Amino acid sequence: MESINKEALKKVLKAKINRQLLYYLDLCARCSICRDACHQYTVTKDVLYLPAYRAELIRRIYKKYYSPLGRLFPKFYEGREIDDEKLLDELFTTTYACTGCRRCMYYCPFSIDTTWILGVAKEILNAAGKGCSILEELTNASIEKGKNIDLFKDIMVDMLSETEKEVQQKTGDKNAKIPIDKEGADILYAALAGTHTILPAAAIFHEAKKDWTLSLFEAANYGYFLGDAAKAKEVADRIVDEAKKLKVKEVIITECGHAYRVMKFLYEAWAKEKLPFKVTGIVEAMSNYIDEGLIKLKPGSFKDPITYHDPCQVGRNAGFFDEPRKIMNMVAKDFREMTPRREKNWCCGGGGGLVANPEMEEFRIKTGKVKTDQIKATGATSIVSPCENCRLQLDNLNQKFDLGLDIHSLMDFVVDAMVFPGNK
Amino acid sequence: MDTFSFIVAGVMVYIAVAVFIIGMTYQIVGWFRAPKSPVRLGLFPKPRTKTGRFFKVLKDSFIFPQSYAVDKATWIFAIVFHGSLLIILLAHFRLVREFTPLVNLLGKEGMDTLSALGGKTLGIVIIFPILFYLFRRFLSPHKDLSVPEDYFLVIILIFIIAFGDHLRFFADFHVEDYREYVQSLLVFRPSYPEAIANSDARWVLSSHVMFVNIFVIYFPFSKLMHIIGTFAANKVRSD
Repeated sequence: MESINKEALKKVLKAKINRQLLYYLDLCARCSICRDACHQYTVTKDVLYLPAYRAELIRRIYKKYYSPLGRLFPKFYEGREIDDEKLLDELFTTTYACTGCRRCMYYCPFSIDTTWILGVAKEILNAAGKGCSILEELTNASIEKGKNIDLFKDIMVDMLSETEKEVQQKTGDKNAKIPIDKEGADILYAALAGTHTILPAAAIFHEAKKDWTLSLFEAANYGYFLGDAAKAKEVADRIVDEAKKLKVKEVIITECGHAYRVMKFLYEAWAKEKLPFKVTGIVEAMSNYIDEGLIKLKPGSFKDPITYHDPCQVGRNAGFFDEPRKIMNMVAKDFREMTPRREKNWCCGGGGGLVANPEMEEFRIKTGKVKTDQIKATGATSIVSPCENCRLQLDNLNQKFDLGLDIHSLMDFVVDAMVFPGNK
Repeated sequence: MDTFSFIVAGVMVYIAVAVFIIGMTYQIVGWFRAPKSPVRLGLFPKPRTKTGRFFKVLKDSFIFPQSYAVDKATWIFAIVFHGSLLIILLAHFRLVREFTPLVNLLGKEGMDTLSALGGKTLGIVIIFPILFYLFRRFLSPHKDLSVPEDYFLVIILIFIIAFGDHLRFFADFHVEDYREYVQSLLVFRPSYPEAIANSDARWVLSSHVMFVNIFVIYFPFSKLMHIIGTFAANKVRSD
């Protein structure tokens, strides 16, 4: 391995120091109240996955360079050099294991945001050439796609013509379209790879009579999981530039937790500019369409016992607790809540890019036990979750632990219960 | 005043106060000179109004109910510890000036009884959380998480409490004696009144003050900054 440039790493840390980070690094009393907040520590009982310890690794570097007494007596704080191999290895394991659910922050008496500290860790690891290579490859592929979009466009048009037919069938309207590249549309919808998030959205937008267009790019942002803000911005730029070019008023992000977080809460900070359009999550959009009477649902049309999983990036980190529940209560005859739920909900175990990383599979399934037990306790045979990451993880857990669950996206759940006046 | 006492209960007190003020200023100015995070880091649901946020921050900082939900033992010990410490600290101001309104209410004897009973009770009560704070560090996961600072602070506190309790339970000093000593500090002529200077227990008082000085000197450079910073950090969660 090439030698690590210590001074360069120190600069990375220095650039990341802001007021909030200082609070987090200065205040922790190492009380470990966070231990039972983290599903990974709860299952593994390994200190490496204890939120306070994850943060402590960065704190040890910080103390060594930035605290007056830490500089004089680094031992007193277990201060470490930033190029300490052992520390960087531990940091790698724990940082790329964190799902970014921020449940520890909820329970911390000082509101310490471990995920934010690990964001700094990721920047340091990337600068040291020790970032997660799988996530890096995926990120680079996304950026490449942005540069060569004309190559992908034809494939996409082909794919969409099939989906369009399905939308027409569903809505009973032969003129239903999946527009792409439509300048002046009101809405740009960012979906995921594949058609499973395009079809239901197209049906919903069509019924709500919205002037929309489909983004050529998938909403997912592996750059964010990789923790390289510059690359993550490049990935997000693809959609932002497209939205600017098409002059849309609103960008609606599909059921993808981190993609919404990136666009809604992070992008403006990365780009240091205000976005000229509104960012909405599809959960919020569907809820609004229902309230405005634009789409109609058949009440009580879903008969089986069903539960709802709050994705961390939709619930705790974005505030949509009531919107999905309104839909659940409207459509499901037997809606069963998990305990705990809402802002206290357990992470499914698949966030933070873990589902994209085959090396994490075993760990992810193991630590998904908390969620599995929670679902089992409801006795539900179906589950809804408006986040692709969660659904992939839930699907894995379903197979591994034989849960016999039907896993739905909220969009599919809505479309299945929707009244299509044009159809029959 | 003997030399040892003059140094640790005299000169060192001024050093401690000076280091504390300079250190706190340095740390707090350091926080506010750092740029604010461009990303809002709040968790949902957030309070809708400014007043709502203000009270949520107070609640999160003084009661931290979320922590109770996840770790009852630590929460109970934390509340007992911080609560007793706060009352003990406030009660020490009686050694600067008599709490006249309280004396008017209870009478002089009543006040002395309250002081004796309250002091003895809290002096014992506070031993339990501090021992909890010490012994939990010997167990996993604290064992692997702890740094020398954690043990150091607990041990300093144990010394402060031990000498303080010794004074409360065994020394034959009166509030007037302490007040004379504090007054001497305030006029920059530190000395013990005769009752203290002639007693063997003066060593205990000097040691108590010395460990408090160490604690106060170390305060700004330690995790104890959480006592101030908790408000700011909890506000970030509600932003």
